[in-house]
Amino acid sequence: MTTAETTEPMAFDPYELQDTVAGNVRDPFPRFAELRRQSPVHVGKVDVGNGPNEFFGPVEPVTVLGFDECVQVLRDNETYSSTVYEGVMGMVMGKTILQMDEPEHRVSRALVSPAFRSKMLARWEEGLVRTVVNELIDQFAERGKADLVRELTFNFPVQVIARILGLPRADYPRFQRWAIEITSVAANWDRGVAASEALRDYFSGVLAERRADPADDLISELVNVEVDGQKLTDEEIYSFLRLLLPAGVETTYRATGSLLFALLTHPDQLARVVEDRTLLAQAIEESVRWEPPVTLILRRAMKTTELAGVKIDEGADVALLLGAANRDERKYENPDEFDMFRDSKQHIGFGFGVHVCLGMHLARMESRVAVNTLFDRLGDLKLDPAAEDVHIEGMAFRSPLSLPVTFRAR
Amino acid sequence: MSHRIEIRIDVDTCMGSGNCLFWAPESFDLCDDGHAVVLDPEATDEDRLIVVADGCPVGAISLWRDGEALDKGAS
Repeated sequence: MTTAETTEPMAFDPYELQDTVAGNVRDPFPRFAELRRQSPVHVGKVDVGNGPNEFFGPVEPVTVLGFDECVQVLRDNETYSSTVYEGVMGMVMGKTILQMDEPEHRVSRALVSPAFRSKMLARWEEGLVRTVVNELIDQFAERGKADLVRELTFNFPVQVIARILGLPRADYPRFQRWAIEITSVAANWDRGVAASEALRDYFSGVLAERRADPADDLISELVNVEVDGQKLTDEEIYSFLRLLLPAGVETTYRATGSLLFALLTHPDQLARVVEDRTLLAQAIEESVRWEPPVTLILRRAMKTTELAGVKIDEGADVALLLGAANRDERKYENPDEFDMFRDSKQHIGFGFGVHVCLGMHLARMESRVAVNTLFDRLGDLKLDPAAEDVHIEGMAFRSPLSLPVTFRAR
Repeated sequence: MSHRIEIRIDVDTCMGSGNCLFWAPESFDLCDDGHAVVLDPEATDEDRLIVVADGCPVGAISLWRDGEALDKGAS
């Protein structure tokens, strides 16, 4: 309501932001592997492309590229603190569980986590998620060709979140615009901060309505939730709702795009999944291993310590390259291959430790429903033979920029 | 009977991620106060249980047989 010009959500092209938000690196994995073979832990500036080394504290940053080493850091949340996120993320989102350490994190997470459990998600699957996906597919089903990123994956998670929050349909366009603006705050700081303030104002109105008239939606739940006598303050609710945009929208759209890319570029595995949809669950896990939407998370060393024999100074920012860890050749055979039938199913694409992705079950469900619905409705789905140079790119965030496909409408 | 596998959950450590439930829904559930509980240990392959215990984000799951902890995470 503070920004009046928000009626045309898609008037600017979010793809223009890709270079600045995500980094335009196509294949950082050979460099990751080379660095990891030297050492799974590096101190000081390392050139991994253009993303992870843009933060410089007083202490030299540390880069972790090994699976076991990342797991060790994420398990040891006393030595490696999440307060590193207080800076930029805290300024834009407000104080969220992302930047909290124990025991505060545990208490706060417990307040919001019930809504994200797999059993609670079942009620959203059919009526809500499938409906959103079907409406989007309706727009192009007759055409025989489409760009699945622009016309499906980019749009559906924000609409899912808007419905989970119980927002009125008329508000979806401006909500989507704020979502894009707050998520791309690194590209345009003032616009991102303005979106954050607009969202706070907007949500304060919604909160007041839900207090007066509770409904079956997430905001009503957050208003009423109580654990051990603790309730969420309004400010905590605003922060959490804002966090849902980068954490719940951007990641899911990117992950679903990369999953479709993986299947479309591996027609043999695509055929197996189309035929036997129970395989979709393992295709999703393998896709999140192979191309996690978020490749980098941060921690800060609270004391001088040692990791894989490398000394880490107190105060050092530690960048965990999840994308590199997920392709650690010491853990996976042929790590660069997308193979949904591989033995080792574990990955840290959703993170690990106490901060493991709160929305991982929702994300899996959304991806599964989107891809299942696509296969139900469109036959003979394949990459458009006329399309050139379809690829995944990005550094801290990765996904395909477009997925031009052809199909036979059913 | 005595060779049956036993699953133990450290409820003080468990933070209710639901990871175990995702990988082995026949053997785990989440209770109302949010931490994992064991249903039927026999309902899931031992290999899968090892993956589940190893994959617990906070390391709250341990596997036991005849009173001794199984060596998990040997991968």
